[in-house]
Amino acid sequence: MARFVIRRILLALPALFGLVVLTFVLSRVVPGDPAATLAGDAATPAQIAEIRAQYGLDRPIWEQAIVHVRQVLTGDFGRSVFSGRPVVEEIAFRLPATLELTFAALLLSTLFGVALGLVAALDHNGPVDHLVRLLSIGGLAIASFWLAIMLQLVFSMDLDWLPLRGRMDVTLGTPPRVTGFLLVDTLLAGRPDMLASALRHMVLPAVTLALPGLATIARFTRSGVLEALQKDYVLYARAAGYGRVRLAAIYVLRNAVTVTVTQIGLLFGALISGAVAVEAVFDWPGLGTYAVQAILSSDYKALLAVTMVVGVVYAVVNVAVDVAQALIDPRVAEEMS
Amino acid sequence: MRIRLRSALFAAALLALAPAADTQRPAHAQAQQRPLVWGDNLPASLDPHALFDVPSQFILLNVYDGLYRYQGNPPELVPWLAERHTVSEDGLTWEFTLRPGAKFHDGSAVTAEDVVYSFRRLLAMNRAPAAAFRPVLRPENVSARDERTVRFVLSQPYAPFLAAIPLVAVVNPRAIRPNVRNDDWGAEWLAANAAGSGAYRINPDTYRPRSQLDMERFADHFMGWSHNPRPIDSVRVRPVLETSTRVLALMRGEIDATDSYLPTDQVERVDRNPRTRVARDESMRVFILRMNNRKPPFDNRDARLCFAHAFNYQGFNEVILKGLVIRNASPNPNNLWGNPPDLQPYAFDLERARQHCDRARAAGAPLGREIEIHVQTELEQTVQAAQMFQADLRRVGVNLKIVPNTWAGITSSTTRAETTPDMWVHWVSTYFVDPENWIGQMYDSRFHGTWKASSWYRNERVDELLTRARTSLDRAERERLYQEATRLVVADSPDIWVYNTVNLRGLSRRVQGYRFSPVGSGGELRSMWLEN
Repeated sequence: MARFVIRRILLALPALFGLVVLTFVLSRVVPGDPAATLAGDAATPAQIAEIRAQYGLDRPIWEQAIVHVRQVLTGDFGRSVFSGRPVVEEIAFRLPATLELTFAALLLSTLFGVALGLVAALDHNGPVDHLVRLLSIGGLAIASFWLAIMLQLVFSMDLDWLPLRGRMDVTLGTPPRVTGFLLVDTLLAGRPDMLASALRHMVLPAVTLALPGLATIARFTRSGVLEALQKDYVLYARAAGYGRVRLAAIYVLRNAVTVTVTQIGLLFGALISGAVAVEAVFDWPGLGTYAVQAILSSDYKALLAVTMVVGVVYAVVNVAVDVAQALIDPRVAEEMS
Repeated sequence: MRIRLRSALFAAALLALAPAADTQRPAHAQAQQRPLVWGDNLPASLDPHALFDVPSQFILLNVYDGLYRYQGNPPELVPWLAERHTVSEDGLTWEFTLRPGAKFHDGSAVTAEDVVYSFRRLLAMNRAPAAAFRPVLRPENVSARDERTVRFVLSQPYAPFLAAIPLVAVVNPRAIRPNVRNDDWGAEWLAANAAGSGAYRINPDTYRPRSQLDMERFADHFMGWSHNPRPIDSVRVRPVLETSTRVLALMRGEIDATDSYLPTDQVERVDRNPRTRVARDESMRVFILRMNNRKPPFDNRDARLCFAHAFNYQGFNEVILKGLVIRNASPNPNNLWGNPPDLQPYAFDLERARQHCDRARAAGAPLGREIEIHVQTELEQTVQAAQMFQADLRRVGVNLKIVPNTWAGITSSTTRAETTPDMWVHWVSTYFVDPENWIGQMYDSRFHGTWKASSWYRNERVDELLTRARTSLDRAERERLYQEATRLVVADSPDIWVYNTVNLRGLSRRVQGYRFSPVGSGGELRSMWLEN
């Protein structure tokens, strides 16, 4: 298994290097001059030229590319051309918020997606199956920003059950920053009131973000379970007198979720990119809103760093998913080895 | 440890499910305890010498002080950290005498040396706020005559010098110097901290760039608090990105103030809500459709006049913007001095537009080519104006193509005439209150290469008038010069001036004492208090 894990990590490295090069190229073909943005509204051409030189933007493109690759390899993404602060520091503030939201959405998607997929397959062509299929089509079709606004209107404005935006009620203050993960920091601070507030603030954005993933997982689980139900070992297990629930939970589900686990890996990337719209609507101070601000201000350093961080997270999750798959189905590790 | 964690999680889950948790009812139960929640944007950096845009004015006005400050509407320049100033007859030497007793947030006194340090830092960093001073002021020409007197010696007379003085925050060198890294004047540190003397001080521990800033009242502020018997002690700045969320958050009571550009279609809704209102204040922010006068067909005056008559001003201002703006005839805002009193705005008249277009075509202007107008996609009004214009221009045989872009994308292309779009849409806000901020920097050809002068207009007589107006210290003469320059510019029609903005800020009804000034867009908190 160790060899399998090492092999997967090594396979991820070229992809990440490709990402470094690709993001640099993309950052140079998009329109906009970061030096002009940084110089500000009242700047003169001389000021802009000075800033361009200060940030090395006047050097040949290949030279900038080498500097960029060297910086990224040492974990140095430079300074935001807009705020002047180290990009790593800015991302360190933002990343935990996005990861917290993404993991919450992933948890909701997986729990409810697998459960609904299983229930639908067991009631194949029955009313529950139809309902789940309708839900999964809807989940994939509904635009997340529309759903976000609808949830705000219903649960915040009309019912007054949940907060509309942000991560924490302003009257409670902010817990000391230890990990950046608000749920963890509120626990470490021993503030259950803050934890409750943080959880309440997370409900609407997490549900919005989770819905498309939930639909995907439900569909894959359903088809996986339906396929597994046709296998001979299920027939023999039935013949041996196993009950419906035991059969489904122990024998069918484990064999059916291999494909679903792969989907979770792909889903993670979709969730992080989907977080851009959801974070904007719910004012969630994560990487998504940071990326939007970076785009609007042509802050190419920040954009490069966001893309790299998302790429690294995506790669790590994919390795983790492959390992999980190998644990569920040892044949996967054998094939790869 | 694991058991404690599990218990805590369980307890938290129970709390989270409790429907009547206090934390979810900001507007009901906790009105008295709630701090002011300001939903306007935060600047990318808290350093007042690093940026100059509308959000950074909020920091400048509340966390810092300058020698002079604009107050009220129309804005009046009043002594602030300085109690008075003198200027030599040749207009080169300016001396400011500091008010006694002003203190920084760390308790140290504000001295003339601190003012010198602040201007030298500004000039050395050479970022946006320095642009108004760099051509006329060298760092070594700022000096302290004594503890309370600062002297500026300009390299040439510059009448808007005093008008630009409020741009510069006086910073505390004793707070900054220990945090200087690599000769950066403490820029990295000050981007997330403060070293001011303003009416509010920030809590750097809870600051999250662009998303969260907590401020507390500075009780020892040199202007005192006698003008406001119930000042706001705590302020939480929580910018809201999306317009729809911003409006809903205001109506629900989660924030007390939106930005000051509330979309006109939301005004009635916010006004109807019993908890909220919209503050309407005429500002000094002109909405403009630029034309690149160097690129054909806009190098032809008839072509420009054709465009000026083809824009449906009334339809846009009265119908699309619901009459919540004021028609503006020239580059200067209506409510500023320097405008000819009898100036008539261009009218929407397609027949006249057609005649001008025909004349332009006859002179060889390529009006048959597709003309690009760049809009700022995130600002809906720029898109609406372009779409309306596109429809009307089609009626005079002109094909307008709308190109989505961003502020950063457009302004960075305006450094050269060849890369400047055919047309683009934007506003010119109040950076300092002087015609120099508008007509001076927009139509004097010495500013070519800046976004403000991106129509690439050149008229030698106008250049001469604007140069004289910039150097004269006689207000009456300046008024006359600006009026003449404005007449010439309007007659040449280098751009299309549409309206002067009425700032629309959604406010919770508990916010009292809100006072608008075009500089800072009403973001100065000193005068505000909260009703229970």
